[in-house]
Parts: sequence; C-alpha cells; structure tokens
Amino acid sequence: MTPLSLLGVASSLPEEIVPNDFFGPNVAEHRGMFTAPHERRHLRRDQTASALIAGAAERLITKLDLERARDIDLLFTNVALPDQAFTGCGAEVARMLGIRPRRVIDLHNTGCVSFVTMLDLAGVLLRESGARGALLCCAQTAGGRVFAQEGVRHEAHAPVPGDGAGVGYVALSELSPVLSVVTRCQPEFASDMVAEASDGRRYWEPGTSPITLKFTEQRVAAIMHRGNAVVPEMVTEACTAAGVRARELELLVTNQPNPIFLRNWREALELPREKHHDTFDRYGNLFGAAIPINLEDALAAGKLPGGGLVALGGFSHAGDYAAAAVLDWRRS
Amino acid sequence: MKTLVPGTLDGIDGLVRCERFDRPALGERISELTHTVYSHDQVYGEYCTIHRHIACPPLELFRYLQDPYSLLEWTYSVRALRPVPGDDELLVGVDAASTPIYVKTVSHEDALTVDYHCAWDQGRELWMIYLYRIVPAELVLKRPGSVVIWTNCRHPYYAKNPFPELDSDPQRTWVGEWWPLFYGGHSVELDNLKAIVEHRAVRGIPLGPRLLEAP
Repeated sequence: MTPLSLLGVASSLPEEIVPNDFFGPNVAEHRGMFTAPHERRHLRRDQTASALIAGAAERLITKLDLERARDIDLLFTNVALPDQAFTGCGAEVARMLGIRPRRVIDLHNTGCVSFVTMLDLAGVLLRESGARGALLCCAQTAGGRVFAQEGVRHEAHAPVPGDGAGVGYVALSELSPVLSVVTRCQPEFASDMVAEASDGRRYWEPGTSPITLKFTEQRVAAIMHRGNAVVPEMVTEACTAAGVRARELELLVTNQPNPIFLRNWREALELPREKHHDTFDRYGNLFGAAIPINLEDALAAGKLPGGGLVALGGFSHAGDYAAAAVLDWRRS
Repeated sequence: MKTLVPGTLDGIDGLVRCERFDRPALGERISELTHTVYSHDQVYGEYCTIHRHIACPPLELFRYLQDPYSLLEWTYSVRALRPVPGDDELLVGVDAASTPIYVKTVSHEDALTVDYHCAWDQGRELWMIYLYRIVPAELVLKRPGSVVIWTNCRHPYYAKNPFPELDSDPQRTWVGEWWPLFYGGHSVELDNLKAIVEHRAVRGIPLGPRLLEAP
C-alpha cells in the first residue's frame, strides 16, 4: 500500500508586526502561561483568512510545481475565527486558487492540532477515493480579530496569540511517508474554553462589549496539568506506532501555546532544545497554523539537512483534542 | 543476634528479599524500576513531598514552625489568624483572600515534627494535613543547619468539596483543583520560609514571628 507523504509546507504571515507596547506597559515581564512573545503578527480588519491561506498555498503550488486541476482533489481548512459566520473558508480559498477540488472540508474542531487531524483524514480519504493529493490549510486569525480589540488587548493573555497561515500538501507517495498518526478526543475538557463577553451576552447576541477567549478559572490548573502530559504521551504513542523511539527524532514540531508547555514537552521527551523548533518569540501562539509554519521555518533553518524522523504533535483548546504524527522526512 | 521465626513471612506475596532474589534478579527488578524521566503525576500525583536545606539550627527552626502564627509570615495567603473561642488548640484565619481556614498545630519536639491539620470552611474535620519533619543537617549532610521535609497526601476531599453548603462564594476555586500545582506552590512557600529564617538566623536576631495584636 502506498503511504501518505507530506510533500511540502509553506506559510504566510500578515505583514503587520505588533510590538508588546500595543498591549500595555511591562508586557515583556509576564511569565508562565502568559509569557509574551517579543512580537507577533495581526490580521488587519480588511484582511481575510482565505487570502492568507491562498498566499501560502500559492507559494506551495509553485514550490512543488503542482498542476492545480490534476493534483489537488481535496482541500481542508481550519480557521480559528472564520471570515464569515456559517460558510467557512474552503470555497473561497478554492476560488482564489482557481481550483475545483472534489471535496472541500472546513474542519471546525481540533484547532491547534488540526494539521495532524487533516493528515489523518487525508490518508483515509485519498486511499478510499483514489484521489491524487490534498491541501491542508490552517489559519490563526484570533490575534487581530479578538485580542487586538479595545477592552481585550489589555488582558494578561492578549499579547500571546499571533496570526498566520500554514499549508501542507500530501499525496500517496513514497517520498516522505507519514509513519503513524494518533488522535484522541478528551470530552471532559470540551467545555473548558469559552468565548465570552464581559456583559454576559452570547457571542451571537448584540452588544458593545468585545468577545474574548478564556479558560474557565476553576480549571486552569487541570488544563495546564493535562496539557503538560498529553503532548508527550501522544508523541510517544505515535513513535511507538511508527516503531521508533522518541529519542531518535531529528525534529519535533508542536503547537506553541507558551514557552512553559514547549519546555515541558521537550523535557518529557528528552529532546534537546535545538530539536524542538518553534517560532513563539516571533509569531506568538499560532494555534493550528503553528505546526506547518514551524515545520517550514525549521526546514528553512536547515534543521533537517539529510532528512530524518519528524514528529508533529499538540493539543487543542483546553485539551479537548490531542494528536501526533511521525513522518520520515526525506525531501531536501 | 536475632533471627526470624520460621515461616513468619509465608503467604505474603510480592516480597523481594535476598533469599529468593539473588543479585542478578534484584538487578533486573531495580533497573526496570529506574527510569530516566518520571512524569509529574508519577512523582506528585498522590503525595507531594518537597525538601530544602535551611541554614538555621534544627531546634530554633522547630520553635518557629511550631508557632502557627509563623504561617502569617511564610505562607502565600494564610492571614488574620485568631483563636477559635472555646477551643484552645484551634485557630481560624483567611486563605485565598476570604476563605476561612482552620488550623491546629500538632508538634513533637523529640522527633522535630510539626504538622498543621487544616481545613477550609469548617474546623470539625481537619483533613488538609501539612506534614513537616526537620532533620539535623549535621547528621544527614554533614553540614550545619536543618533539612526540612514537607509532605501532603492527596486526601479524597481534594477531589470534591465535602461541605459545599459552607461555600458562600460561587466563583471560588476549590483548593483541590490546585493539587496539580502543589509542587510549585509549596516550593514557593518553602522558599519563603527559607528566606525569612535564614535572613534572621544569619544576623543572629530572634526568628520570630513578629506579631502585633490587631482588632
């Protein structure tokens, strides 16, 4: 059986660089869960996630020399806060790219680890349908759309998120095989992250107070605890499923909620810092876009000159989903 | 010399003793038990034990810990302690801003142990028990000062407030929700204790606590 291969990744970041003083004084002194990156990017009001994704996808199409009509049968998107209510971004991305994929899936869940979920689903769908290849598109938009709003930007966690899009292309091929994908749903954490306004209105109800994203106060310790443990567990599980050991990994790429999680994950997996590549200090918490963006950044930084085993992993929201994959990266 | 009554351990499964486990068999067993990395849960899941060396003579440190009003100095949030009328041994104060916390101190000078038996909201069943043992560092580390060992055990009430009717603040986070952060939180407080005690001990001034009567 021909394996699924991840053939390439590309990213696109909004040009607007937001410094720490936008969020108030002494932001750089926050530690722990709210450690602020040095800077991050924000989408402006007139910019769309679809355009950001399309920008990254165009780069990838050029890089891999894809023929649009032939090579892209399947399009996935996951967008933190989509451009429109109801519709999702998939069809708009397809319009911008001039493609007509057989299937377009706007994945609503698995946020920060949606790239791995897409790998999993793409493997199943490509095999069953005999389709040629899939674009996996993840965009984080909550930086500009939520955390830049007056009434939100001065909150302790507002400086952490940043916007960006990352896109991967997968096909059935021997070139860079995905050796394993493991996924998990943890329903007990399903309601621990909430989008709420200070006046108590629902997000669809009219009002003037801004919406922000929060963990429920009572569960912060449990969420941190679970987050610390679950990513190393999933990466270890993916390594076992691939028949390799975590210490053999050449590169670990995860979502990047904060530097504490990043430190704890690589410590638990006994990986040196240089093998766990992140862009937190430049881009902040990129939600689901972190994995493809960080992978492209690691490749650009020469982290895999001769290829090697790569693990992708993370968890979403307050821990409702977690996933990891191991691939044998053979492309230069 | 003494020896065991023949057959006294019969019927007790799982014992590892040299008569039945030779050195290679023991080696296999203990190398299997020895990991490079332990998860936070494995180390701090059911029991949270931390320790520090404190540059202060053991008996002086014992006297400082034995005085529950010292908690006003070195804990993060236990404040406003006062006696509970009608109970000579029980104090009540506030924790986490406005939660009533009850404290009874049980200490043994010969053993250098000080245990704070505490509970939120009520003083009848003191189930949050903070266990301290002081060991002369001269004995165990061949250096002056004290080693302090602090243990908490994960009582089932940490998982669920047994007296929810006593909680008047619906926004309050139950103490047990913080168990996963106890290692960090207790480390902060033990470092407070070390800093205060060493500051005073090094200067040769009384350890305290320094108290005023308040209304």
